[in-house]
Amino acid sequence: MDNARSSPSLWKDAWRRLSRNRLAMLGLCVLTVMVSLALLTPWIAPYSYSAQDLDLGATPPSGAHWLGTDAFGRDLLTLILYGSRVSLAVGFLATAVALTIGVLWGTVSGYAGGRTDAVMMRTVDILYALPFTIFIILLMVIFGRNMFLLFMAIGAVEWLTMARIVRGQVLGIRRQEYIEAAIVMGLPRSRIMYRHVLPNVLGVIIIYTTLTIPNVILLESFLSFLGLGIQPPQSSWGLLISYGVETMEEYPWLLFFPAATLSLTLFSLNFLGDGLRDALDPRAATD
Amino acid sequence: MPAFILKRLLQALPVLLIVITASFFMVRLAPGDPFSQERALPVEVMKGLRTYYKLDQPLVTQYIEYLKNIAQGDFGPSFKYSGRTVTEIIGAGLPVTFELGAYALLIALLVGISSGVIASLRPNTWQDYVPMSLAMIGICLPSYVLGPLLVLIVGIWLEWLPVSGWGYIPGDKILPSVTMGFVYAAYISRLARGGMLEILSQDFIRTARAKGVSESMIVLRHALRGGMQPVISFMGPALAGLLGGSFVVETIFQIPGLGRYYVQAAFNRDYTLILGMTIFFAVLIVVFNLLADIVAAWMNPRLRSGKSAGG
Repeated sequence: MDNARSSPSLWKDAWRRLSRNRLAMLGLCVLTVMVSLALLTPWIAPYSYSAQDLDLGATPPSGAHWLGTDAFGRDLLTLILYGSRVSLAVGFLATAVALTIGVLWGTVSGYAGGRTDAVMMRTVDILYALPFTIFIILLMVIFGRNMFLLFMAIGAVEWLTMARIVRGQVLGIRRQEYIEAAIVMGLPRSRIMYRHVLPNVLGVIIIYTTLTIPNVILLESFLSFLGLGIQPPQSSWGLLISYGVETMEEYPWLLFFPAATLSLTLFSLNFLGDGLRDALDPRAATD
Repeated sequence: MPAFILKRLLQALPVLLIVITASFFMVRLAPGDPFSQERALPVEVMKGLRTYYKLDQPLVTQYIEYLKNIAQGDFGPSFKYSGRTVTEIIGAGLPVTFELGAYALLIALLVGISSGVIASLRPNTWQDYVPMSLAMIGICLPSYVLGPLLVLIVGIWLEWLPVSGWGYIPGDKILPSVTMGFVYAAYISRLARGGMLEILSQDFIRTARAKGVSESMIVLRHALRGGMQPVISFMGPALAGLLGGSFVVETIFQIPGLGRYYVQAAFNRDYTLILGMTIFFAVLIVVFNLLADIVAAWMNPRLRSGKSAGG
C-alpha cells in the first residue's frame, strides 16, 4: 500500500484492533486450520477417498476411525475432509466471481456518476428483486448439475450487495480533494481508479468479502442438501448432511460431524467478518 | 403516498416481465428441447401441451400466447401429473405454505423483536451478550441442520412432538414452524438491536428522559417506531427467504406445500410445473417487496420522496 502516507498506520491500527478481538482471532485460527487441512487433504487424509469396507459397515467413532464410518464402511473424517475441499472451493471461487463483478460495477458506477450511474444502479435494483434461489434451481435443472455452473450462478447472485456498497464508498471518495487534484493533474481515469480510489475502498471490500463467503457456503449446502447442487461421487458438506439425515436415527454421528463442521466454519467466518468490520470501519461498528 | 405506491408498482412491472421472459426462454431453449422430444409422455399430456403451448406456431407467438394465458392465472398442464394443471397444484400447496410461513414469521417477530429490544437496553452486559450469542447460533445453524437435529432430539429421542406431516396429528405443526422461524428470529433480533441502539442515542430520547418520561414509555412510545425501521425493511427479503426455506423445511417434515412440489418438480424435470411455479414465486416476492416498501414509507415519510428503500 504505497498510495497514501496514512495507509501503513491505518492497516497497522486495524490489525491491532482486530487482534484484540478474541472471537475474531479464534475465527481466523479455525479458518486457517480448516483451509490448510482442505489443501493438504490428499496427503493427510487417514484413508483414500474411494476406500470402503462393506464388512465393517457403519461404526461409531473409534481409534481407527476418529469420526466413525458410514454404512459402506467409509471413513467419515476422510469424507468430511474431501467435502471441505469442494465446499470451501465453491465458497471462495463464487465469492471471487461476485467480488470481481461487484467491485468493477460499483467503482465504474460510482465514479462515472450521472446517467451511467443511474442506469447501472437501476439494473442492480431490478436484479435485486429477482428470485435468484429459484432461478439457480431452474438453471441446475435445465443445464444439469455441474459445479462450474453452480459457482458461476452463485457468484452472479452475490455481486449485487458488493456493487451497491462499493458504489456508495466511491461516491464519497470522488468528492475528496485529492481526487480532484489528481484529475486536475491530468492523470488518466484508469490510473486514478486503480491508484487512488480502489485502495481506499479496500477495507469495505475485505469486510463484505468475509461476510459473503458464509452466504455462498450456505447457498451451496442448501442446494446440495436438496440434491440439486454438488453431485456424487463428489462430496460436500451439504451432501454429507443430507446423507446424515437419511440415517440419523441409527447413525447420528453421520449427521453431527458434518453439521458441526459446517456450523463451525460459518461461525468463524461471521465472527471474523464482524471483527474486521469493527477494526476497519469503526464508524459502522454500532450496526 | 399514492404517487409513491404507483411509482413502486411501475418499477415492479419490468422485474416481472424479465422473470417471465427469462424463465420461458430458458425452459424452451433448454438442451434437447423437452417439449418436442418424443419422450414417454402420456398421450393426453402431449395433447394438452400442444394445445396449451401452440407448439405448431413460432416461438415468439407461443411466448405471447403464454403471457396471455398466465395473465388469466392459467399456467397450463403439468408435465408429469397427467390431468392436473399447474394452477391446481399451486392452489393445493399455497395454503399450506402460507400457514407454515405465517407461523414461522410470527415466531420470528415475537422472539426476534423482544430479544433485540431487551439486548439494546443494556448494551455490552450479559443482557446483551446472551441474546446476541443465541442470534449468532441461529444464523450459523441453517434450517437443514437445525431441522434434522430437532427431529432427532425432540421427536425421536424425547418423543415429545410428531416429526412429519401437517395437520394430521396435533402438534405436528410446531417443529416445522420453529425450524423455519428460528433463523429469521436471529436476523430480526440483530436488526432490532441495531435500530434501537441508534434511536436510543438520539436527542429526542434524551429530551424525553430529561423531562422525566418513564423508561418503558420511552421504549414503547418513542423508540420502537423508529427502531423497528431496519426490521421492516428486512420483511421483504425475509418473506422471500421464507419461500426458499419452505423448500428445505417441507422436504424434511414431509409437508405437502409449494416448496416440496417445487423440489419434486425439479427432480422429475416437470418443466411446465417448474416454469409456472418460478413465475408464481417471482410474483409473490415482488409483491412482498412492494408491501414492505410501502409499510416502510408509511412509517418513515422521508423515504417517500427519496430513493426506494432497498434491502
